[in-house]
Amino acid sequence: MEAISDRLFNEHTTDNLQDDPSLLTIILDVSPSGWFKIQNVISIQDVVKSLIVYLNSHLSLNNSNQVAFLITSPLKSKFLYPKLDNSNIIKDSVSKDMYRQFKIVDDIILEELNQFLNEMIDKIENNKRSTLTGAISLGLTYTNRMLTLDQSILTTTASAMTTTSLANSNQNSSNITSSSSTSMKSRMLIISANDDDDELTYIPLMNCIFAAQKMKVSIDVAKLGFKNSSYLQQASDATNGIYLHIENPKGLIQVLSTAFFIEPNLRPFIILPANSNVNYRASCFITGKAVDIGYVCSVCLCIMSKLPEKCPACNSEFDKKIIEQLNRVPQIRKKRKLESNGNGNNENNNN
Amino acid sequence: MDDSDEEYLSGITPSSRFSSIVPESPRSKEGVSTRTRARKSGTTDDNLKGNNGGYSWEDEYQRSWDIVKDDDQQGSFESMVQQIIENRKKKIMKNPATPFQRGIIRTLVIVIDGSNSMAEKDLRPTRLTLSLNYCIDFIIEFFDQNPISQLGIVLMRNGVAHLVSEVSGSPQYHIDKLRQLKIRQHNKFEPSGDASLQNALEMARALLKFNFGTTSNNTKNSKEVLMIYGSLFTSDPGDIHKTIQSLVKDEIKVSIIGLSAQVAICQEIVNRTNHEPKLSRSKHYGVILNESHFKELLMDFVTPLALTEKEKQEEASLNNGVPIIKMGFPSKVQPIVTSTIGNTDFTVEFPQLNASFPTQGSDESKDVVEVNTNTTLLSSTTIGYQCPQCKSRVTNLPTICPVCGLMLILSTHLARSYHHLIPLAPYKEVPIAESYDSEYCYGCQLKFPRGVKPGTHPGVLESMTSSRYRCFKCTNDFCINCDVFVHETLHNCPGCENN
Repeated sequence: MEAISDRLFNEHTTDNLQDDPSLLTIILDVSPSGWFKIQNVISIQDVVKSLIVYLNSHLSLNNSNQVAFLITSPLKSKFLYPKLDNSNIIKDSVSKDMYRQFKIVDDIILEELNQFLNEMIDKIENNKRSTLTGAISLGLTYTNRMLTLDQSILTTTASAMTTTSLANSNQNSSNITSSSSTSMKSRMLIISANDDDDELTYIPLMNCIFAAQKMKVSIDVAKLGFKNSSYLQQASDATNGIYLHIENPKGLIQVLSTAFFIEPNLRPFIILPANSNVNYRASCFITGKAVDIGYVCSVCLCIMSKLPEKCPACNSEFDKKIIEQLNRVPQIRKKRKLESNGNGNNENNNN
Repeated sequence: MDDSDEEYLSGITPSSRFSSIVPESPRSKEGVSTRTRARKSGTTDDNLKGNNGGYSWEDEYQRSWDIVKDDDQQGSFESMVQQIIENRKKKIMKNPATPFQRGIIRTLVIVIDGSNSMAEKDLRPTRLTLSLNYCIDFIIEFFDQNPISQLGIVLMRNGVAHLVSEVSGSPQYHIDKLRQLKIRQHNKFEPSGDASLQNALEMARALLKFNFGTTSNNTKNSKEVLMIYGSLFTSDPGDIHKTIQSLVKDEIKVSIIGLSAQVAICQEIVNRTNHEPKLSRSKHYGVILNESHFKELLMDFVTPLALTEKEKQEEASLNNGVPIIKMGFPSKVQPIVTSTIGNTDFTVEFPQLNASFPTQGSDESKDVVEVNTNTTLLSSTTIGYQCPQCKSRVTNLPTICPVCGLMLILSTHLARSYHHLIPLAPYKEVPIAESYDSEYCYGCQLKFPRGVKPGTHPGVLESMTSSRYRCFKCTNDFCINCDVFVHETLHNCPGCENN
């Protein structure tokens, strides 16, 4: 009897050690203004070198690990890898010096990046907002495909077949999020040198955060440059990712291969560099600036830093009495006797 | 009073008031039976009838495996795939693209029946166990969609109402309480006695008076009661119609899910409190067919209620505008692991003030009390949030700052409802053509099928689609999977964000 139970126990433990493949999505923000400011410290070239080493080490961990590489600029966001039509590169990627998957990924990323940067130089305009949220959205749709569909599927007709079977199984188990045909893990790394927070579009970023939360995709952020980005801090904090403000990016490869290299499911067991205090500031709907204390419309919950008469989002008029109350400047009263302390507190609440 | 009026009328003049609505229904002299008949032939009968005119129970039973035809033709299977895709599509379309006002800050009291009838085993394992399980799922989903809302739970048992959990905004607190109830459902809280609608509703009414921890009722929150009712009768200490009257006065909306059969008094409560015409069928009162229908009905209450016409008119006529709330967005203070060994100067750990009070003075709130007098030395092991106005620390959000009275909230809490406010326009299907501009899905990089020349595959073409769904703002094409994902989860169009 003992022998039997012993064997069962062993089998059970090996089952737990199953090594699921994981998808790593990298988003590189190449907004020129940010990189110009830190030109004395590090260049895009150096960062890309470190990133390629990072990608290769991720690929070498598990044979079926996947990577995706997105680039974002004020002009547009784009997939560099996977490339849509990569038949040419795959053909001449056979080399006796290098693992084939490394060579495919490296060649495509470098070639596409060069092409993208050349395009950007021609068309660059000032005062355009960042399209980082577009890149995150693209990354999430790609992640969604990888998490719910078989990775070998390349066309939509094939995917329709599998999704119908998926949909059927979903109805049976009545648990839509947890069932997927492949058990893949996924995380996302954003590298940004952009110091201006207000360039980010607030609502789309929030939508991305919630989608990532639902899909259990951690968003890690490596922030170069001089300032913290409170919105990106919120993104990583809400999705259980790591946010690091790297002030000295010379040793970027070391940070990438230590702090950012650990799978999200292993993170509770490892002491990681602590997040600095996260600033959960919101964006004002009128001015687009980040605010600490704001006024919130009770109908649509839009946030305002000033007090308008009408809500800018839902157009409902505000109660004039309340606006008056809020506009009132706090007055310092002379000290009264102890009895009236309760009243004083209540009036403070209304301010 | 209303009831007796109606009986009187229908008894004396049998064909005056209802004759225009239901001309053929035979009318008896007794008032009560008239009422039930009128309702039956007016509304319910049509709903019970199937496609071919007969009642659904007279139909032949349709087996799900008969729908898939066992013939070799490719076409039938393909059309079935197509149909399922279309159904998914329709599901998206149910979410309207036009924004309309919803009561986003909700206060909800869940009333669970714990009477004798809940011990029945028509739902596995018992009605009560299944209801509790579904309630836990509901709470998780509710706080995901309505993060700044509050919730309380009441249990009806032995003719009285028991408070399971107080009105609070913390999902974990409610789930813990329900789990405790689940564990003790066979020894202490086994289903017993009768259910009392009046007691439960009065308790719910008292709970709903609270408003974000304050008793001042100046913000227009939606106040709701959701009842899971397994009994077929109620044993009340007083007149339930008076309770209904006061519910209407307090603008509390009651929704009921019946587990056994439709009950007249439940219908009346629902119709009166939701301002719906008498004797009409309301979407707020549903009787379950089976387990999955139960879950469906329950999950329908997750999305915030739309404001009714009457409320909108009231608001317009009062003309004093909607209230505006001042809120603070605190910054999160991370716990810092510090070592105090060998440094006697800093071994004194200042207790931290836990300033949040989610349980409103109950025993739980007295457990965690630490005071931090030195803000530079944050040697706490718990995560805290710092009020932007007075710099005091709280551990739970959303709450009201106990020092300066500012409402503290995470901006991510507010942002969750923005997709109700700014909905994404639906994608439109690209018509079938011989060739298309796009070769790959813009979102997930899947390859689209190529265009088909008409006439090459006779018979198949009708069920073919272009598989492309186009956003008309950015004219990018997406596959069906991305379409569903973008509209149900992401609420962002990746193409529009890139322009």
